[in-house]
Amino acid sequence: MLLPKFDYHEPLSVDEACQIMSDLGEKAKPLAGGTDLIVNMKKKILSPEHLVALSRIEDLRKIELLNGSVRIGACVTAAELAESQEIKRGLGALGQGAGILGSPLIRNLATVAGNLVSARPAADLPPPLMAYGAEVVLKSRRGERTLPLETFFQGPGQTLLEIDEILTEIIIQRPPESAGAGYIKLGTRKALEISLVNVAAYVALDSSGTTIEAARVVLGAVAPTPLRSPSAEKLLIGEKVDPSLFEKAGQAAAKDSRPIDDFRGSAQYRRDMVAVLTRRALNMALEQARRA
Amino acid sequence: MKRLITLTINGKEYEVAVPPNLTLLDLLRYELGLTGTKKGCDVGDCGACTVIMDGKPVNSCLVLAVQADGRDILTIEGVETEEGLHPIQQAFVEKGAVQCGFCTPGMILSAKSLLERNPRPTEEEIRTALSGNLCRCTGYQKIVEAVKDASEKLS
Ligand SMILES: Cc1cc2nc3c(=O)[nH]c(=O)nc-3n(C[C@H](O)[C@H](O)[C@H](O)COP(=O)(O)OP(=O)(O)OC[C@H]3O[C@@H](n4cnc5c(N)ncnc54)[C@H](O)[C@@H]3O)c2cc1C
Ligand code: FES
Ligand code: FES
Repeated sequence: MLLPKFDYHEPLSVDEACQIMSDLGEKAKPLAGGTDLIVNMKKKILSPEHLVALSRIEDLRKIELLNGSVRIGACVTAAELAESQEIKRGLGALGQGAGILGSPLIRNLATVAGNLVSARPAADLPPPLMAYGAEVVLKSRRGERTLPLETFFQGPGQTLLEIDEILTEIIIQRPPESAGAGYIKLGTRKALEISLVNVAAYVALDSSGTTIEAARVVLGAVAPTPLRSPSAEKLLIGEKVDPSLFEKAGQAAAKDSRPIDDFRGSAQYRRDMVAVLTRRALNMALEQARRA
Repeated sequence: MKRLITLTINGKEYEVAVPPNLTLLDLLRYELGLTGTKKGCDVGDCGACTVIMDGKPVNSCLVLAVQADGRDILTIEGVETEEGLHPIQQAFVEKGAVQCGFCTPGMILSAKSLLERNPRPTEEEIRTALSGNLCRCTGYQKIVEAVKDASEKLS
């Protein structure tokens, strides 16, 4: 398959990249790992006149700890996330999502920002990131803004990113010691698989270790965007931990989900699986919270 | 407009002028004649085009040649040495892990990258490391055995 023709730009700094994006406007697209963009260009779904490669901008490749927050550069790859000690310590569910994205070959290319900007409903990184309450930083010549990730997604392939903006980093407040999170992806294969359903769950316990102080449940592939389950979260917060509570939270999450029928699975099956996976992801989160 | 890039492939430095819309895979196969790297799906699904770039196995069909400027590339042609086949290649031959051979270059490069990071992998780890490389012939079992065999001989 031949790629459509385009001009190639390779800025060395974020400022330079923003200048190019501002000059070229909608004719240009940022290129990160290319695992979505190059495929879409080969299939002639997209044919931007200019590609602005971000891979040589060193500032975008770091994972930094700063005053209790973790800052993940836009171009950090899924493989780097899955292997990072900073992520394993305290943000394990994100490492789990990154560690099962695509295949080992894809993970060495695919970046975290590319995964968010592509905004596929079944993507593996948005649910764990939303479960940790992540924010995204968007930069352009006009300035910089920080948004909660959950407001960023507008629909399949649609986000709040403006045409001249670059997503530069993801910020996560380091969860307290008494918190834990889990991520589960359900597919029919172990690799190279798009989720039928995926669920990320986060819980924080109070000082006694018995009552749930904070909870977030995020469902993927069951709505046009990754979806928080307000009913499940409401049911969990302030309650004492017991197995039937997670069962009920699973049922509530299933009610909040809005899956569709397609060749990969029926809506009914997906809804049932939301209940099961929510319960299991909550158990993973609890186990981790108690270990601390 | 073509761009002049410099990259190292199998230890040898190349300077080539490439159009931006040329993939690394097409550069290797059609411009440089390194046809050991295979083209299967051309969209990241099959792993036939696997090369090792700066120490990491990637799908060369998804990398632009211009993105490989300044990088170090290993293809299957660079795996054999003057002493003969690499122990992983030898194990593939001995264990019957090669049938049509189309997936073999990618399999061997993914396996090589695994054994460099993890010299004594478990079967599960081998299967995970090869999970981006599809084989239509062998059923994988013999490939997994070959990698296990090579890991024992290498360590
Ligand atoms: C074989 C295969 C298997 C896959 N499996 C999975 C899977 O299991 N789970 C999953 O979630 N995804 C999967 N994907 C999709 C893809 O790998 C991911 O979405 C990946 O994270 C995209 O990142 P990238 O760096 O390759 O993005 P690119 O393709 O480079 O870019 C994607 C989009 O984001 C934009 N963009 C990239 N970076 C920025 C930035 N910093 N600022 C602004 N815009 C930006 C680009 O302009 C483009 O529109 C798979 C893809 C393939 C080919
Ligand atoms: S040809 Fe590159 S993955 Fe199939
Ligand atoms: S040997 Fe034929 S595809 Fe693997």
